[in-house]
Amino acid sequence: MLSRAASSLFWMARYLERVECQARLLDVSLTMALIDVPEDREEQLSVPLLVTGTKETFDELYKELTPQNLIDFMLLDDRHPASVFNIIQSARDNALQVRGNLSADVWDSINLSWMEMKELRQTGVTESNASQIFDWTRARSHVFRGAAYGTLLRTDAFHFLRLGTFIERADTTARVLNIRHEMATASADEHATRSFFEWTALLHSLAAFEAYQQIYGPNILPLNVAELLILELDVPRSLHACLHEIVVLLELVDQGEARKARRLANSLYANIHYGDRDYIAERGLHDYLTDFLERIQDIAGQIQKDYMGWQA
Amino acid sequence: MLIQTPADGLYDELFDPDNRVRPHYRTLENWLINSDEDMIADKRREADVLFQRLGITFNVYGQDEGTDRLIPFDLIPRVISASDWHKLQTGLRQRVNALNRFLHDIYHNFDIVKAGVIDAEQVFANPQYQPGMQNLKLPRNLYSHIAGIDLIRHNDGDFYVLEDNLRCPSGVSYMLENRRMMMRLFPELFAQAPVAPIDHYPALLGETLRAASLNPNPTVAVLTPGRFNSAYFEHAFLARQMGVELVEGADLFVRKNRVYMKTTVGPQQVDVIYRRIDDDFLDPLSGNPHSMLGVPGLYGAYRSGHVVLANAMGTGVADDKSIYPYVPDMIRFYLNEEPILKNVPTWQCRKPKDLKYVLEHLPELVVKEAQGAGGYGMLIGPRASKAELSNFRDLLKARPHHYIAQPTLSLSTCPTFVEQGIAPRHLDLRPFVLSGKKVQMVPGGLTRVALEESSLVVNSSQGGGTKDTWVLEDDQC
Repeated sequence: MLSRAASSLFWMARYLERVECQARLLDVSLTMALIDVPEDREEQLSVPLLVTGTKETFDELYKELTPQNLIDFMLLDDRHPASVFNIIQSARDNALQVRGNLSADVWDSINLSWMEMKELRQTGVTESNASQIFDWTRARSHVFRGAAYGTLLRTDAFHFLRLGTFIERADTTARVLNIRHEMATASADEHATRSFFEWTALLHSLAAFEAYQQIYGPNILPLNVAELLILELDVPRSLHACLHEIVVLLELVDQGEARKARRLANSLYANIHYGDRDYIAERGLHDYLTDFLERIQDIAGQIQKDYMGWQA
Repeated sequence: MLIQTPADGLYDELFDPDNRVRPHYRTLENWLINSDEDMIADKRREADVLFQRLGITFNVYGQDEGTDRLIPFDLIPRVISASDWHKLQTGLRQRVNALNRFLHDIYHNFDIVKAGVIDAEQVFANPQYQPGMQNLKLPRNLYSHIAGIDLIRHNDGDFYVLEDNLRCPSGVSYMLENRRMMMRLFPELFAQAPVAPIDHYPALLGETLRAASLNPNPTVAVLTPGRFNSAYFEHAFLARQMGVELVEGADLFVRKNRVYMKTTVGPQQVDVIYRRIDDDFLDPLSGNPHSMLGVPGLYGAYRSGHVVLANAMGTGVADDKSIYPYVPDMIRFYLNEEPILKNVPTWQCRKPKDLKYVLEHLPELVVKEAQGAGGYGMLIGPRASKAELSNFRDLLKARPHHYIAQPTLSLSTCPTFVEQGIAPRHLDLRPFVLSGKKVQMVPGGLTRVALEESSLVVNSSQGGGTKDTWVLEDDQC
């Protein structure tokens, strides 16, 4: 397939995954801010900004970190590229570039999200209707995924689209885990109940709360959380699951000359596949995740170089 | 709902001169008068939303979001009887055949010029004539693989060809989407009327494009200027329907006179390019050097025969207004047949006799620039002021070569939904004619309608809309 089309599909899927992640993140932070003691409210609200690396931009644009300001900034503000509004627009722009490779259903799912997003921006989002918006965001994400799964040919168009999804998901899981784990560990020494909520928040942010309950039961232990979200293959947002998909997809993609991206992905995959919780504990989670983030970005960069780069 | 009858003297598609419903409109008329206004209003809103979702919109750039515009779609189809279509189809085939023969001739043997049917100057001095196309052998001698022929019905009830579009005619996606929309909104109508299907157009187009190459299994691509082009939807739509790649200039490169796509597995050779970019922008090395849309070296690859362009370069000379008057003669010359479709009588102001007539009858005539397009630099005599008429008299005397004149034609009308209910509005018709192993078309075309009362301008840029076009499979319904 065309390199430009592969690139557009890759980015389109990354953006759409990002929308879902961002909505979950924001949802949990707003809920946690309600539970938390007033003095820590701001810390809770700042999580989405830290994960997306937009704290500075926020401070430039807004005076105060309030739930309403955060909602405006993360969802609707068109002055910075990380708002859900702009991300959906970018996804739709990319979809438009590859309309020739998309089924009518996939296009419709993205275009409709964009049309509804524009309306949403006119009506505005407040704290009281925010949860409906998060529901909407998740639902749109499901529709896109369903349309992609149900209607796209299993050609490289589909494979590159899926690669975008899993690169983005792995990246998000690692970032959320990195930041929330630190917060939860810090509070563990002070207050057991609060710590429990912190862990709950982390798991909810990655849609893995129920999975934890099923696997480990009601007691939430930090290392269990790390193991679940890094090593557990059956958890759809774990690093292991994402890397597994990436490796499989890179095998499916039509190969031209020898590809470096495959080697990088397989090496990282082997690390996780044969990794264990003791190694993570020994190395330190923060260190482990920082290394992971660098490597997943290298893989993303290499995929683009291998298949999408035609710079003369 | 009540259907307004047309003014006297105009040809109406639905009502005959005695305001009786024409037989091929009976089903539709019956449906219309029994339709409730609110239901229709609901359906119109539904159509708007569906078109927005489809993304069949124009983007107005430099403005805020929410400016994606739709070409207005009218819910009342335009119906063509089986016998009318049969005649149209035969006539279109004949005309496009002759035009392709003409293009081959003027780039090879110049028979028509040698025979004195057309002056050499008319052909070779035409700015659209591409000397570089001389003696280039094209598969099947085809130049205009895809032609869009603009027709109107005059008040004598006959169809006239207004213009031949032989370069990059657009609008076919509207023809297809309008039908899809009608079937979705009013399935019951299609159960009652024997409407000929058109949705095999992309299949025929694909067949035509593959036949354009001598390679038995050619790789075809659609070349678009990109998503900022107003017809981008159509380019993507056709590529998807045909299952071929939609490429931009930057996706292609030329090496050793062969054209390649940049793909994820390396270069892949392209044999046929359905290009939706004008001649001048195809190759910055031979055309417009500032073109960012084209492919450097494409012209060389084309000349060497390693890639086919559809349509060919240099077809513009045959759809020029100064060549238009000669099309009936071409049909006689190349095919030895009498033209089936009528041409609008045209006075060529470069001929002293014609000029004299035009100057004497200016208030009745339409004057157009011979090389102009899009309705610019045009005079509509019956609607012009004294000052405009006198200004054009001066222009005509000063530069007669630049102008042609035609009688003011009355486009036929068809019932259309407007603010006041259902009223007659003027329309034209653009069927799409495909030339490959044979000349083919789907029954129908794009019907454009002027939404303003008594307006004759159907262009979408000037407030025109579109309708579904029904060709009936038999005359009774």
